[in-house]
Amino acid sequence: MKKILLHLCTAGAVLLASLVTASAADSKLVVAMLPKSKGNAYFISCKAGADKAAKELGIQLLFDGPTDSNAAKQNEIVENWITLGVDVIAVAAENKEGISTALRKARKSGIKVITFDADAMTDARSFFVNQATPEGIGHGLMDEAARLTNSEGEFAMIVASLTAANQREWQKHIEARLKEKYPKMKLVAVRPCDDLKDKAQSEATALLSANPKLKLIMAICSPGVPGAAEAVKQAGMTGKVKVMGLGLPNENKRYVHAGVTDSVILWNTGDLGYLAIYAGVAVAKDELKKGAKTFKAGSLGTFNIVGDNILLGKPFIFNKGNIDQFDF
Amino acid sequence: MKRYFRELSVLGALAAVLFGMAIFAPAFFSPQPLLSLLTREAPTLIVACGMACVIITRQIDISVGSMFSVCSVCAGLLAARGWPLLLVLPASILLGAGLGAINGLLIAGLRLPSIVVTLATMVTLRQGLNLVRQGEFVNLPDSLQWFGLSQRSGQLVLVGASLAFLVALALAMRHLAAGRFVYAVGTDAEAARLAGIRPQLVTFLVFVFIGALTGLAAMMNLAQSPQVQPLSGAGLELKVIAAVVVGGVAISGGRGNLWGAFAGLLLLACVSPALTHLHIEAYWEKAIQGAIILLAVVADGLRSRKAKR
Repeated sequence: MKKILLHLCTAGAVLLASLVTASAADSKLVVAMLPKSKGNAYFISCKAGADKAAKELGIQLLFDGPTDSNAAKQNEIVENWITLGVDVIAVAAENKEGISTALRKARKSGIKVITFDADAMTDARSFFVNQATPEGIGHGLMDEAARLTNSEGEFAMIVASLTAANQREWQKHIEARLKEKYPKMKLVAVRPCDDLKDKAQSEATALLSANPKLKLIMAICSPGVPGAAEAVKQAGMTGKVKVMGLGLPNENKRYVHAGVTDSVILWNTGDLGYLAIYAGVAVAKDELKKGAKTFKAGSLGTFNIVGDNILLGKPFIFNKGNIDQFDF
Repeated sequence: MKRYFRELSVLGALAAVLFGMAIFAPAFFSPQPLLSLLTREAPTLIVACGMACVIITRQIDISVGSMFSVCSVCAGLLAARGWPLLLVLPASILLGAGLGAINGLLIAGLRLPSIVVTLATMVTLRQGLNLVRQGEFVNLPDSLQWFGLSQRSGQLVLVGASLAFLVALALAMRHLAAGRFVYAVGTDAEAARLAGIRPQLVTFLVFVFIGALTGLAAMMNLAQSPQVQPLSGAGLELKVIAAVVVGGVAISGGRGNLWGAFAGLLLLACVSPALTHLHIEAYWEKAIQGAIILLAVVADGLRSRKAKR
């Protein structure tokens, strides 16, 4: 009985939705955006940018996703959208392989598919809106560290682990940039924190007492930044030793306001959502094709395309002045 | 003297490391950073005490890390809702005891192997927490940090309390009947039963005990920073089991004491800051800790072979 009721409801919803799309289809393109999880503040801030783009472009935006990061649920939603017959699907894939079958099916039925934030298999989408390249992150972190220390003195790094692929990649670019541009700066230690805030705090405490000339701690994993900040605060070295790194605004707000942490680096999630919608619509209108080298997205200007990756560009720096505008 | 050779050798190794640090990197002993590092280990010591009891009864609990995370997050959420410390603290301990009781019921009641049961609860609790929190930090009220004391007094209270607990429990294990029951069950459960002890009840209570201690430890950790990460207990189980084993508590049950576990904990905990002070690459950290554990296990193995002969 329950099952029948469920089917009836689904059928009703699909019917209703198709009526809505049918009436809108004459004038408006329908873009469906699928985050990894719809309640997650990170994706809600992506949606803010997407809403803005939708308004500017005069399209209809559907925003739906699993309530938790659930790969199977993502497939279900894509299947529903295929039935609905949306024009564009923009996905942040929870499971690269898992979602790709559903996306290929969507493409077969004429829906344009792009990915943002987390890519699917390359044959399951036309473009990937890439929020950050390892080189962009590495250079962004190193340049900001140099700015905070006037390009001289000792600094130490806290990483998630010594072996994680993304961490190694970022570290490589940080060290290359250091060698190339900042000869007066010296990286004195690299310590792993196993992605644990508490361990980062212990590591930073030891770093501070072992390196009395230390001027800055850079953490390149998100729990590392507040962990290092707490250590600097407890050691009474606020302002004397700067803290910065790759992290999320909400986890660092209190330290940024207290003047312990100077900069938190990530990408602008609003811009990411905005660019994803612009790119999706351009693909649907056939304005953005394979082989393009640049892409202009409304008020954000022109973005570079490498292969089939649309690059969001330089990382964004959160500091005392702007961090309160972000909630994720 | 000979009876405590195993514990004393760990203490000797610790003394050697500290002596080396005093010569090569005296900054290791600057009071404030050292106090901070000791404070960071205070919650671990509490859980290690519980783990020693569990292992002495010939069981193991690998779910402590997950229980720690769950207690941290729940206590953090209650504190954020404005619950006073005097309610949050017992709530966290009770929650831990409750989770421990689930382990205890399955292990003592259904006679299931503890490694499998606690593996299951470890995974279930961790994934459940991930599902609910998705990694999001819990922001704590400022009044909770250092229990409202100054940083220095707060740190002294935490270190002092954990040491006092260690002493009290070590004495209880040696002199109270309950403590001797734990050893008796771990040495030979059947003999213990014939002597009028109820081994299953002891086992159950030991799991409730470690759960409660984990809840307490979670609170001691919450007091050290203004926000808590849902992942906070990850790896705690390995840390405390390693400390206990290095300290000479036999994985086969019935043997060892809390002093050894304490020395083992300090020895393993000083590896990472010592390397930082000696400017040695972090790659060595886990390798050295692994070697210490291996050495301890080999020493125990040789000893028990000798004893059998």
